[in-house]
Amino acid sequence: MGSAVSYCSPQQIQTVDLCGSEGKAPESTNLPCPVKYEEINHEAYMSLKPGLFEGLRFDVYRSMNRKFGLSNSLFMGSVDLPDCAPDPLKQSTAHFELGANLIDQKGKMDVVLMMGRVLSKGCMSARVKCDITNRFSIKANAELTNEPHFSVGMFNFDYKGNDYQAQLTMGNSAFYSVNYTQRVTPKLSLGGEWMWFGHQRKSCMGLAARYQTDSVITTALVKSEGDICCTYIQKLSDKVLVASDFVYNWNSTEAVTSIAYDHLLNQYRIRGRIDTNLCTAAYLEEKISAGLTLVLSAELDHRKKDYKFGFGLTVGD
Amino acid sequence: MGSAISYCSPHHALTAAVCGDDIKLPEYTNLPCPVMYEEITREAYMSLKPEHFEGLRFDISRAVNNKFAMSNRVFMGLIDLPGNSGSVQKQSTGHFDVGANLVDQKGKMDVVLVMRRILSEGRLSAKVKYDVNNRFSIKADAQLTNEPHFTLGMFNFDYKGYDYQARLTMGNNAYYGINYMQSVTPKLSLGGEGIWLGHQRKSSMGLAARYKADTVICTGHVKSEGQINFTYVQRLSDKLSVASDFVYNWNSREANTSMAFDYLIRQCRLRGRVNTNYCTTAYLEEKLTSGLTFLLSAELDHIRKNYKFGFGMTIGD
Repeated sequence: MGSAVSYCSPQQIQTVDLCGSEGKAPESTNLPCPVKYEEINHEAYMSLKPGLFEGLRFDVYRSMNRKFGLSNSLFMGSVDLPDCAPDPLKQSTAHFELGANLIDQKGKMDVVLMMGRVLSKGCMSARVKCDITNRFSIKANAELTNEPHFSVGMFNFDYKGNDYQAQLTMGNSAFYSVNYTQRVTPKLSLGGEWMWFGHQRKSCMGLAARYQTDSVITTALVKSEGDICCTYIQKLSDKVLVASDFVYNWNSTEAVTSIAYDHLLNQYRIRGRIDTNLCTAAYLEEKISAGLTLVLSAELDHRKKDYKFGFGLTVGD
Repeated sequence: MGSAISYCSPHHALTAAVCGDDIKLPEYTNLPCPVMYEEITREAYMSLKPEHFEGLRFDISRAVNNKFAMSNRVFMGLIDLPGNSGSVQKQSTGHFDVGANLVDQKGKMDVVLVMRRILSEGRLSAKVKYDVNNRFSIKADAQLTNEPHFTLGMFNFDYKGYDYQARLTMGNNAYYGINYMQSVTPKLSLGGEGIWLGHQRKSSMGLAARYKADTVICTGHVKSEGQINFTYVQRLSDKLSVASDFVYNWNSREANTSMAFDYLIRQCRLRGRVNTNYCTTAYLEEKLTSGLTFLLSAELDHIRKNYKFGFGMTIGD
């Protein structure tokens, strides 16, 4: 079409680098590349849903060189026992996880990215991402467990056009899905997805819209299972961000709204959230010294009288 | 007897001031006043058994003037429920305390001491200590609850002689106890107690010995219910002390040993303990600024796979 094709770097799984953010303003009607369909809510859920936990968490991450890193993670705490309502009962559990990450980048492309995790319970998860060309990338994702019929494997084929992104997914137990996002105006992108579950012979559809300006990102998502989900985040300054989320299920006619803030300073990052289910959560990460981070997590569900508190230490980046 | 009578200040319920500490060497056979029978293991249990908790604890104490202080405490966390098949199940709970302390001192005597906590579950505990004169003091202790038959009340009459201490206890449910502690040499004191439980028509006896040198305190305790208990505390330096504890029950033939250390650094105090039941605990109090203390508590029971973690904050002294 025109000459000022904006190049979008592929989404790195760990950072929120939005593709299209470093594209120059197109001179002709070329629009920047949109975010992938599964990432439209990503910024909102980074603030709204931090990794809350209950108990003790100890993570050590060591980079061997620029490309390879090892991680050890120890978790000891309580997990909710299923089917114990109205008073939730918990049981202590502990597990240890070993992980390895390999990243090989050429320019802005991830030639290969591999992540593997092994848990002491006997589960293993592995992810491989490979960018064949600028536009086409393949992802594979596997989770293997000891229990039969609980292993999951999935392949994703992503294609990035000038102003659209498309993804085809194939998984085990005959799972297929297609999703597509298209940039309509410089600020608005729309998308849709369709999923087919072979074994249960179920299909579902979804539609999504995302509106992004410099300080505001609004998304809306409608799923045929009966969920409507709207999110809104606003960057008040470099350091403070507020986010809000509204989920409505028209089958069960339940609606939940949550409001969260995210305050980021050099030494710490604190995220707080309050819910219409009378559930309050907070997550604090404090950098005690270089490479040592203290993590405090709290979740108070006043309606079910369920209180979860956790603290932890992260060594390494 | 002689003129160099050693005067012992009465036990302040909050501090561990051992009476007899500040005496000069006796010129003849005048012996120092021993510790009360209940307090012989106090130094050992300060290091061995800090107040572990699971969940969140938040304490605020405010001294209104130099005699009166108010305190509030919020606790939200998990308590253990006796589970089936030996596994420990926990349930979330939360409660709120209000307390008031009144201390009126004349010289070295406590004229009146009142401590009261009202728990949001409807429980009240009150303690009153009154020193009638240098040698005789009366203590009253009451715990009132909503549930019938769970209310406790107790009166203690303490008499302090030159080198002995005696106490008579009378409580509800026809509970009577008498104990006596005598200094035999400047370092060794021996004592005994007898308890009579009226309603169950049970009586029990106990014998105790305590040996205190400059840096070492050893105690031994035998109870007729079948328990033998030894403790040992050694102060390695100003900042570090180690303690050890041995409990043997000849009815159930179970023995248990624990070893603990108590490390006082300028800003924090760390207490750690290891048990022969494969139970490891740690308790950290860190003074962030003046009047603000951060607490971390951890208890890992590897045999029953029960892990308890808590963090908290104390404001005020």
